[in-house]
Amino acid sequence: MSVPYRIALVAGRELRAERRQPDGVVAAVTFIAVLVLLESLVVGPSIARDTDVASALFWLALAFATILATMRSFDRELEDDALEGLVALPGGRDALFGGKVLSLATVLLLVAVVGGILSIVLLDLRIALPLHLLVVVLLGVLALPPIVVVDVVLALRLRARAALVPILALPVLVPQLVAATRGTSAALSGDAVGALSWAGLLFAFAVVYTVIGLTIVPAAIE
Amino acid sequence: MTETTIPRGNALPRIRPWLGIAAAASFVVASVMALFWAPTDAVQGNVYRILYVHVPLAWLAYLAFVVVFLASVGWLWTKNPLFDAIAVSSAEIGVLFTGLFLVAGSIWAKPTWGVWWTWEPRLVTTAIMFVMYVGYLLLRGLSTDFSRRATRAAVFGIIAVIDVPIVHLSVLWANSLHQLPTVLRAGGSPALDSSMLLTLMVSLGAYTLIYAYFMTSRISLERARQERLWTT
Amino acid sequence: MRTVQSGASLHDATVVLDDRVILRAVNLDVGPGLTLVRGPNGSGKTTLLRALAGLVPLARGDRKGSGDVLYIGHRPMLLRGLTARENLEFFVRFRGGDTRGIDGALRAWGVGEDMDRPVERLSAGERRRAALARVETEGVPLLLLDEPFADLDDAGSRRLRQTIARARDDGRSVVVATHAHPELDELAKTRLAIDDGVVDTAA
Repeated sequence: MSVPYRIALVAGRELRAERRQPDGVVAAVTFIAVLVLLESLVVGPSIARDTDVASALFWLALAFATILATMRSFDRELEDDALEGLVALPGGRDALFGGKVLSLATVLLLVAVVGGILSIVLLDLRIALPLHLLVVVLLGVLALPPIVVVDVVLALRLRARAALVPILALPVLVPQLVAATRGTSAALSGDAVGALSWAGLLFAFAVVYTVIGLTIVPAAIE
Repeated sequence: MTETTIPRGNALPRIRPWLGIAAAASFVVASVMALFWAPTDAVQGNVYRILYVHVPLAWLAYLAFVVVFLASVGWLWTKNPLFDAIAVSSAEIGVLFTGLFLVAGSIWAKPTWGVWWTWEPRLVTTAIMFVMYVGYLLLRGLSTDFSRRATRAAVFGIIAVIDVPIVHLSVLWANSLHQLPTVLRAGGSPALDSSMLLTLMVSLGAYTLIYAYFMTSRISLERARQERLWTT
Repeated sequence: MRTVQSGASLHDATVVLDDRVILRAVNLDVGPGLTLVRGPNGSGKTTLLRALAGLVPLARGDRKGSGDVLYIGHRPMLLRGLTARENLEFFVRFRGGDTRGIDGALRAWGVGEDMDRPVERLSAGERRRAALARVETEGVPLLLLDEPFADLDDAGSRRLRQTIARARDDGRSVVVATHAHPELDELAKTRLAIDDGVVDTAA
């Protein structure tokens, strides 16, 4: 059995479980909705509509939503030792990271679409370049999960892991968050070159950190 | 990797006192040179002398991080506990020097630019590196089992080091696109004359010796801990 | 019989977990037939099985054997949110096997009516039965079963004994860790006693 096939199996298993028990999606969507609401209330609608502010908050919220969904996904794996059942399979270690990243990116895309529509409606955002915005969001959604999955695996079964994961993940996510925020802001305000160059960076980050994760995570799983 | 050639028992304790003496002596020489021998800067006055602390601290912060990276690769590759001892020692010393670097930077920034903190890309990168170091040590502190702790820390150490230059570039690009106020370049400005350069070089040497001395002490402490663990 | 292919061996295996030595310099060669591991609670039975499965890092020594292992631990290792059938299908597909036998195996283990309910709605005994059905659906040459009788009723225990006997007769290597069930002794080729991480092969 080839590695991509096994990765697809792990992702399929995860998405099927998430569809039946959508704890991760519900938590992440609620979180991002509450944040978008709070943002406009706290800083006032005119500042909240600023393209830089709206994009920064959207991506910070999405980073936290990624952490929430990933931790939920691994909590489910720890009940009944399901993770061990997967790791004990030949090739299981190698498929775990890819499968999780793939399924979480799918979940995250849903969260980003809901959060994005909410932001646009509530903040009455004008989108200068909708197609560019879609590209940036899609690539941003691919760039966040690799780091978060690695850090959740590193914090697995440790006490205080709910606090540890954001501390480990957020500093490492700085490049992704900067690129996604700038790219989104550029797409909203009509800077096509800016949006595409940041999108290109996001793509590079997604590839680099996925390759690092695929190489190194099997060693991190006991 | 010269560290691998350190024999298990005897060489470290024999080198250590000499390293300590050399570090202390060169630190005294560097301090005297920095405070009295080096000329006063025409623009900044005496405040600039913090450069002789600031630049070596920055160098050590990055050196310590790179050593964590190499030792982490070494542990994952060989599972030799010596590498884990090197990694944890370098991380702890690195977090100390990175913290001192940030403090020294603030002390320099206030009289020079009138603010305690500027969003200068190098400063921001180092601050993020500091947070990564702290995360690394937290991860170690929360793990209970020796080999799991070493492996998890090594994985994070490798990713964090790969991330540092990317963080720097992303902050740089974000600022250049946004026309943030450009600030003075911190170290290595072209105005350094030869006596200033010599003082800087001596300071760099002295601080590197201090790092080496701290490393030998911390590594032998960690090795003693490991040996106690294996024998019980 | 190719012993190395269908078995696993540990040489001078020492396992340290949470800074405590759990296994001490274990030398063990597991081949076809039933190997029974007995020992009190906390003696290292679980860690021995996990070491044979290659699931714990060895502080010293090494493990030999193929990765083709079926390890069933204390807990059923089934993912919640999926049905029993979906869980077993995942395992079989992952190994590149044939999923057609799954319905039959689950029915034979008495989970026929509930195989399409998410596993979190099954009782502990049903989950255990669904997990043990993997012995039949995955057809792996080396079986490592940790306290497999837990949560099983009389009928389930009987079925498990038959399954172990059949696997033994098929030339598969079966390792069962249990603190009870003396009736398994007559099936066993080897009996091991483990205490405080030291394995005694002369038991």
